[in-house]
This record gives sequence, C-alpha cells and structure tokens, in this order.
Amino acid sequence: METFLTIAEAAKLLAARKLSPVELTRSRLDRIKKLDGRLHSFLLLTEERALADARAAEKRLMSGQSRGVLDGIPIAHKDIYNTAGIRTTAHSRLLEHNVPARDATVVRKWAEAGTVMLGKLATHEFAMGGPSFDLPWPPARNPWNTDHFTSGSSSGTAAAVAAGLILGGTGSDTGGSIRGPAALCGIAGIKPTYGLVSRAGILPLAFTLDHSGPMAWTVEDCAILLQAMAGHDPEDPASANRAVPDFRAGIGKGAKGLRIGVLRHFFTDDHAASEATIRQIDEACDVFRRLGAEVREVTLSPMMDWHACNTVILTAEAYAVHEPWLRTRFNEYGELLRDRLALGALLRASDYVQAIRRRRTLCLELAAAMRETDILISACAPGEAPRIDAVSKWNMLENPSFTAPFNLSGNPAMSVCTGFGTGGLPVAMQLIARPFEEPLLFQAAHAFEQATPWREKRPAFD
Amino acid sequence: MAQEIGEAEFKLLVAAAGLTLSAAQLATLRHGYGLFRALLARVNEPMPREAEPALTFDPDVR
Repeated sequence: METFLTIAEAAKLLAARKLSPVELTRSRLDRIKKLDGRLHSFLLLTEERALADARAAEKRLMSGQSRGVLDGIPIAHKDIYNTAGIRTTAHSRLLEHNVPARDATVVRKWAEAGTVMLGKLATHEFAMGGPSFDLPWPPARNPWNTDHFTSGSSSGTAAAVAAGLILGGTGSDTGGSIRGPAALCGIAGIKPTYGLVSRAGILPLAFTLDHSGPMAWTVEDCAILLQAMAGHDPEDPASANRAVPDFRAGIGKGAKGLRIGVLRHFFTDDHAASEATIRQIDEACDVFRRLGAEVREVTLSPMMDWHACNTVILTAEAYAVHEPWLRTRFNEYGELLRDRLALGALLRASDYVQAIRRRRTLCLELAAAMRETDILISACAPGEAPRIDAVSKWNMLENPSFTAPFNLSGNPAMSVCTGFGTGGLPVAMQLIARPFEEPLLFQAAHAFEQATPWREKRPAFD
Repeated sequence: MAQEIGEAEFKLLVAAAGLTLSAAQLATLRHGYGLFRALLARVNEPMPREAEPALTFDPDVR
C-alpha cells in the first residue's frame, strides 16, 4: 500500500476491493505508533474503536452496502469535538477527565458516513492558547520540521494529515484556526460559510465567529468531507436552514471565466508577507490567468481594521464563555491562554458594541466588493512556520491576521498550498468566495491545485 | 503600536474587574493590554449612525 493516500484515492481502492478498511486502518495505526512520539498530534488513540469501525465498514463493503465515499476512511477529531464515552479535553487541564455523553453533530454525521475514528487530536488550549508547554500534553509539531510551529488552533489535525497519519480530520476556526495550520503544514483546509456546518457539541470559543470545517491533503478531499458535515441542525442556533449543494459539482470545471480579485495590499502593505509568499501568490495569479480567469486587484479597508474588530469580539465572547472558570480556577489554565483570556475582563461594554457596529460596516464593504468578483485571493499566513519556541504570547495582538476578516464576514475561505519558502517549509494562499458558494470555491482551488505540482511533495518525516 | 497604561491605573482596572493577579501576571498582562488598547482605539473610531449592530446578521450580507 502507498504510504500516502488521499481520501479520493483510498475510496477508489476500497470500492474496487483492492484495499480493505481494516488493512488501511492498521497501516495508519502503525504509522501513528511509529511517528507520533515526535509529532504529538494525537492526545488520545482510540485503537479498539478504530478497528471496530473498520471491521463494520469492511462488512458493509463486502456485502454491497457501502455508505459512500467515506466508508472505511480513517479520520480523527480535534479535541474540542465532543465524542460520546471518549475523553474530550480541549487540550486543557480543566477538562482532563471530561467524558461527554453525546457526540457532537459533526462527529455523529461522519460516523454515519462510515468513517473510522482513530482518536482525538491536539489543539491549542480551548482553541486559543498555544503553543503552550505547561499543559498536560505537549503541543503538536510541524512534520516538515519538528522544531517548527504548526500554527493553530487545529494543530494536531494539520500535523496528522500532513504526516499521513490520518486522511482527514476536523478543525475549528474563529480567527484562522483551520486555515493557519493548513497553510503552515502544507495541507488544504476550509472554513465554510457561517451556519453551513453545525457547531453543536463543539466546545465554544466565540459564538459569533466560531466555524467548524474539514482539513485534508487535497481540495477534493475537503469537499468530500464537507459533504458529510454540512446541513441544518436545530441544535445549533446559528445553523442555516437551506439545501446542501454538491460540493464537488465544480471539481474539474477549471477556472475559465472566473473573476478573481487580489487583496494585494493585505499582504504587501498592511502586513508584509515573506518574499516567497508574495512571489507565489503572484505566480498563482498567473496560473489563474492561463486557465482563463480574469484577475485584478481589489482594495478593502486596512487589514488592521478587520483584525481589531475580530480580536475585540473574540476576546469579549471568549471571556464570557470562560469567566466562571477564570474566577475560580484561574491558575489551572495554561499561562498563555489565561493571560489572553484575562484581557476580556478589561473590556468595556461599549467596546464590544462598537466592534459589532464596525463589523457591520466591514461586512457591507466586503459584500460590495464581491458583487464584482467570484473569488478573492489573499495570503493565509505571513510566511513559513516559525520555530515553535519563537511564538509570542501576544502574537494575536501584534500583527493583523490574514484570516480573521472572513470570520467576521462569515464568507467561506480556504487555504491552498502554493509551494515552499527558502527554509523548505510550505507557504500558502487563501481563496475566498461569497457566502454559501463553496462549490465555486472548491472549483477554483481545485483548478489551481491541478495546474501545479505542490500535492506531489510530502514531508520526509519517516 | 502599543498604547501603554500606567501601573497604578492598570492595577485599578484589574481590581475593578475582580481579578487577583500576582506581580508577574500583572506585568505581563499590562504589556498585553497596551497592545490591546491600540485595537480598542480602532474599533472606537467614529462610525456612521447606520452602522447598526442589529443588522450584523442580515442574510444578504453574510
């Protein structure tokens, strides 16, 4: 068997009975046992559950009762997704022994689709505090160079996918927690439209900014995984009650005729990205032009305006979630999260209200820009992954985030690898579409991916 | 650009918020708050009256 398989590739082999779910699952478990001691992407390996899931999938496949393309595919969940009877910690001492009674909606839906659950994945503490070295488990490491940061907060998912330990996994994104680690670990990750995927049973960070989404090696794999996540859920008050489209409908249709806007000032002036990041976004624009797209620059308010708004709302909402524990169990948090959360205690009510008002004006501005464009392009991260010991506690306050604008607006946004920087680590771009236009986003991202060689290179981690 | 706050003023702010911090915690949080204040200033810049929070979730916008 190939060391690395995408979901689409594995599904074909499984359907043709050239590969069994048990064989595939055992190969991933062996790989986790061999490599994860250096990567720390898993907080909990659920081997018995995985083999039971795999045997059940095998039985279905052999009896012609396959549940579809995800039947028998090994996945894992970020450890803020509740899993019934299985420890869910948020990578925090506060929930070290927490065992939920019910699955999160997404966990249930992926299980119903036939996925094989390998375990629970590292995260920044409560999806905000990392990388932290004073928690019961170490932070995940970047498989391209284990001295380097994965970004976060969906750190374990990104590391495990890049290293081929899982074929896909769940992430969550409140300011960039899917797209950031996807970018730094060289994989694909989508933050879907706000309301498209249920957040019921996922530990909250900031109610109006939290998104759930999939992470995988390819754009097509993300589309496959999203298909099994999306849909209305009355248990999530923000869930959109609308039909779920075929997310692979645009896959293979190319980029001809697409109107693409480049938010160049975001990554050249507002927060200057690395030379490699800028050059490779420029090259990506050339790729889209060659594919028949129309590419032009688009200007929005300075990225710091978006970032300030997102940070104030996030801090206020996260503090509201955590206030009871901050008052009674302050020193049980990791230092990094504790200090970041404590800022929320110092906000005034008017700061939060003004930020919500600012959000409205920024959302209108973006909606107007997207009437003239189908897809926007920006950077996803400033450059390659920094060393893990060089990440500032206050990095979220020091420089504007490339990803946060689309948490504010709720637009779907995706990280796509554009190559490698001078340090040999991945760099990426971010593609953004109008709300609920994920099929078009996947179409554009897949067209780029097919036109470039970046999916052929995996980390030499073994 | 950070907007520093004086130590005495910051101690009052922290006390009013009901937090009990060690001297080291107070020092690191004071530094972070200086950075945070710059972001707060941005969201508090004047806005048109039509910028209504009640419309944030207009489905045509999102």
